[in-house]
Amino acid sequence: MLKKVLAVLMSAMFVVGAAGCSSSKKEATGDSAQETSAEEKDTLRIAYTADPEGLDPQRTAAIATLEVTSNIFDTLITCDTDWNIIPDLAHDWDLAEDGMSITFYLNEGVLFHNGREMTAADVKYSFERLKGEESPKASMYKNIVGIDVIDDYTIKFTTENLDVDLLQSFAYPWTAIIPEECSDDLKTNPVGTGAYKYVEWVPQQSIKLTRNDDYFGEKANIQNVEFTLIPDYTSQLSALMVGDIDITEVTADQIDVLNNTDGVKGYSEPQNSIEILALNQENEYLSNVKVRQAIAMAIDKDEIIDTVVWGNGTKIGSHLPVCSPYYVDTTDVMPYDVEAAKELLAEAGYPDGFTISLKLPKPYQTHVDAGQIIADQLSKIGITCEIEIIEWATWMSDVYTDKKYDMTVVAHSGRLEPYNFLSRYKSTSGDYISLLSGDVDALLDEARQEKDEAKRKELYADIQRVLAEEVPCVYLQSLSKFYGLNEKVEGFSIYPIDMLNLKAVSFS
Amino acid sequence: MKTKNKGLRKKRMSVSLAIGIVFVSIVVLVCLASFIYMPHDPLEMATQYKFLKPGVNPDYVLGTDNFGRDILSRIMKGSRTVLLVGVVSTGFGAAVGTLLGAAAGMSKGIVSDIIMRFIDGFLSFPGILLAMMLVTVVGRGEKGAIIAIAIFIVPVFARLVYSMILDIESMLFVKAAKSYGISKKRLFIKHYMPMMATRLITQFSSSIAQAIMIETSLSFLGLGIQAPNASWGLMLNESRKYFISYPYLAVAPGIAIVITVLGFNLLGDGLNDLLESRKGGRKNG
Amino acid sequence: MLNYILKRIWSAIVVIFIVSFITYFVLMFIPGDAASLILGTEASAEQIAQLRAVMGLDRPWIVQYADWLRGLIHLDFGESYLYGTDVLTLIIQRLPVTFSVAFISMLIASVISIVLGVLSAIYKDRPIDYFSRSIMQIGSAIPSFWIGMLFIVFFGLKLKWFPISDYVPLSNGLFPYLRNLVMPCTVLAIGEVGMLIRSVRTSMIDTLNQDYMEMAKVKGLKSSTIYFKYALRNAMIAPINVFGMQFAKLMGGTVVVESVFSLPGLGRLLLVAVEQRDIVLLQGIVMFITAVVVFTSLVVDIAVMLLNPKIRAKAGGER
Repeated sequence: MLKKVLAVLMSAMFVVGAAGCSSSKKEATGDSAQETSAEEKDTLRIAYTADPEGLDPQRTAAIATLEVTSNIFDTLITCDTDWNIIPDLAHDWDLAEDGMSITFYLNEGVLFHNGREMTAADVKYSFERLKGEESPKASMYKNIVGIDVIDDYTIKFTTENLDVDLLQSFAYPWTAIIPEECSDDLKTNPVGTGAYKYVEWVPQQSIKLTRNDDYFGEKANIQNVEFTLIPDYTSQLSALMVGDIDITEVTADQIDVLNNTDGVKGYSEPQNSIEILALNQENEYLSNVKVRQAIAMAIDKDEIIDTVVWGNGTKIGSHLPVCSPYYVDTTDVMPYDVEAAKELLAEAGYPDGFTISLKLPKPYQTHVDAGQIIADQLSKIGITCEIEIIEWATWMSDVYTDKKYDMTVVAHSGRLEPYNFLSRYKSTSGDYISLLSGDVDALLDEARQEKDEAKRKELYADIQRVLAEEVPCVYLQSLSKFYGLNEKVEGFSIYPIDMLNLKAVSFS
Repeated sequence: MKTKNKGLRKKRMSVSLAIGIVFVSIVVLVCLASFIYMPHDPLEMATQYKFLKPGVNPDYVLGTDNFGRDILSRIMKGSRTVLLVGVVSTGFGAAVGTLLGAAAGMSKGIVSDIIMRFIDGFLSFPGILLAMMLVTVVGRGEKGAIIAIAIFIVPVFARLVYSMILDIESMLFVKAAKSYGISKKRLFIKHYMPMMATRLITQFSSSIAQAIMIETSLSFLGLGIQAPNASWGLMLNESRKYFISYPYLAVAPGIAIVITVLGFNLLGDGLNDLLESRKGGRKNG
Repeated sequence: MLNYILKRIWSAIVVIFIVSFITYFVLMFIPGDAASLILGTEASAEQIAQLRAVMGLDRPWIVQYADWLRGLIHLDFGESYLYGTDVLTLIIQRLPVTFSVAFISMLIASVISIVLGVLSAIYKDRPIDYFSRSIMQIGSAIPSFWIGMLFIVFFGLKLKWFPISDYVPLSNGLFPYLRNLVMPCTVLAIGEVGMLIRSVRTSMIDTLNQDYMEMAKVKGLKSSTIYFKYALRNAMIAPINVFGMQFAKLMGGTVVVESVFSLPGLGRLLLVAVEQRDIVLLQGIVMFITAVVVFTSLVVDIAVMLLNPKIRAKAGGER
């Protein structure tokens, strides 16, 4: 009876739906067929899940913003997919002998989208704005104490203390060069020098860009870019499969499916990002290093990687991604060994385990899934996890800012220099995972001042080993990124910093 | 003609009541059974068995999810959550709502005004926002869901009781009783409640259905029952990522929700018809 | 009568202010704020405190509320930090979407439920009655997000009948506009149909049982005349209330369907405002939705009163 009624209901809907569109379909398809054939070639459609926090690259830390603005704005230098620093607005640069200053030589004839030429004065203004009090990245650049315009196309930056990674800090997308006259409403009307010009942003719907035909470098291949907001994952994937969009992020299990589906393909690359289980050293149990080590040894990272990302990840033992030039393999320091973990826990005085809270940030399904497996694994050595899934805003304030947590799963990403990855472990940093024993403080200071590349690598290797033994966090995996692409999309790749490089993308 | 009609009517009433009773009993039985036996621990992960389709492995009749957890066991465990949250939140909501509605209905003037304005405020508040705010303040999980849903249910009962009391108070016998000086409390318990009982009971059953629907929606949005616990709405939420490749993940919890909600709705309607016709019968006889 | 209407308008305004107050008050208990979100996972505590001061978030909530109210009196809803745009502009921009979805789905639901409701009242206990009662029950038992997912995959992906993720404004032509709204509106209509059929059916049965209906039959009027000229007109008075209120509720209650079908409506904007702690934007949307609900209920009540002599008399008596 139920089935029958359901069938009737469904077929009724069917008729209503079909009737609703059959008349409309003729006209609409006529339209859209034309549209697709004409537009397919010159509009790249990208799905995104949440609106950016405005389009001002210097006033947010949101990756969603930077992925859009990195196409509208340029930086002095940038990096390629293999972590090499390459020229952008500056065609060349000189690092002083003592490493305390750097001079950039700018390209001539670079025009902002409003038609004015970009000069060294704009660079100076942009960096002063980046160091301003409303800027989230101000502290990262406080070491720069002097910005001197030498001539229209030459500019010199001077630092207070030696920082061997100075060059890299000019490659990040928030060091975008902006025109002063447009700085007040960049949030809603971004004006840069980039390969794409801003056209329109309809909140909750779409962001449109068009090719900048006056771009100083090699011009973009595709005329228009349209970011389309699709919040639901099933809809994103469906839209990709029917050809409504060309690029979308997918889950790891879809890569094979997409490669076996006509018209689409999967793309997966290791990302400059690591997933960690942070352990609060101020917690009464976790303050004991043996407990932390026990937790590290009770976690089967392979199971997490197999289940959460379908094997598309690499397990790690310390706080650097596998693709970093400074990475050393420390996975054998705390190997998966449940018996040893139980012993350590008993030595620490908790043979029967304990109960502890595990906070997981809701928008990140990978972390939520990993956290659930961790809870299951820890239950085998007697540790009961009380899982609490919280909003990102709550995570930011409770966990990150106020350090009110026992354990949490999260990722850190997007830094070129190991120092910026690792400096949060300084005992004085006040960070939510700073290593309170202070065992890496001296090493970090030394590494930042060490100009010899080989010695620096050795120092960072030491730091990674200390972290692996002290276990302020359990280091789970080096993450990869997964995209579904229309099979016509060529030249799409991911970068170690938070940017999308759309000018390189083309349709075959 | 009339008698034939009446006979038919009686038969139909028992059909919807019967279906309602059957569906609700199924859910209750599944829930009771879950205390005695479940094929697997609903929380236990067997990642080597993830995404087993239904029927592939006789050990996992309804298949397994992305962590290799047994779907049948999770459905069974989920029935506990659904019944607990549905019944307890409706109970709280109905009790508070009835009291507020009675207070507003029986005390004229400013008290009544204030109560009803707040009720109106809650009714006109965007439901999803109310839930999000409540859940963030009260905390997620069963407790949070129960309180949030109870607050959804309160205005429904408050409005219902308020309007019924206004109706009753306009009746002659009430005016007579009042002129004898019967206390309000006594009037409410001895006279009003019995008159309202039928409507309240049927509303209670439909409200359980509504509460269950809200719980699944909240859990689906990630605001209700929290992982790794089993809740049907949460199971649907988790299936969302894998829906295109593994649509079976969404089938079992979806059908479970439909059966349960349908069951309580039919039960409410059936009871309503039954009680109304009895009342009518008594009056006539 | 006028007195009653004025009284209702006054209480509507009171309700709106109660809601705005509750929203602001509760928000202060919710952890997280815009400053820490903007600064992200790099910032120090001191930086966050500094930005809080710049944004005015360090003031006591009652001061912030008073500030917001002062703006409201000058019809200034404030600026969203997230979008850097005036809140009223954002709401007006999103309104057509939500309004279209709510309106069309109510239209679909109304047609279905009036037809089925009336038929099942006239042919009570016949197959058609069973049919519409089954639809009524099942419609209200199916979760909208579930059926939404099924629709996307079946009608969108497999059959490719309808676009999956696009909102086309009416200005781009009626057919593309409707084509994009068919799926979400049908899903919403399924959820609404149950309650609407019930109210139409009950009311129609009541009307048909009235003495004057028997009179009409005895007088020998044609049954179609009886049903459509007299019964339906009287029977529609009670359901108007239900229809009106359901429509108003949809203005803020379409968030799930908006998410599933990627519609840029008010519900989604509301969700984002909460997630990003954009208090000013959130407050603006809540005010707006509350106002719509409260005033719809006011208009509906007045309409019902004008249509129904009995209630009209009652209101007169109360006064």
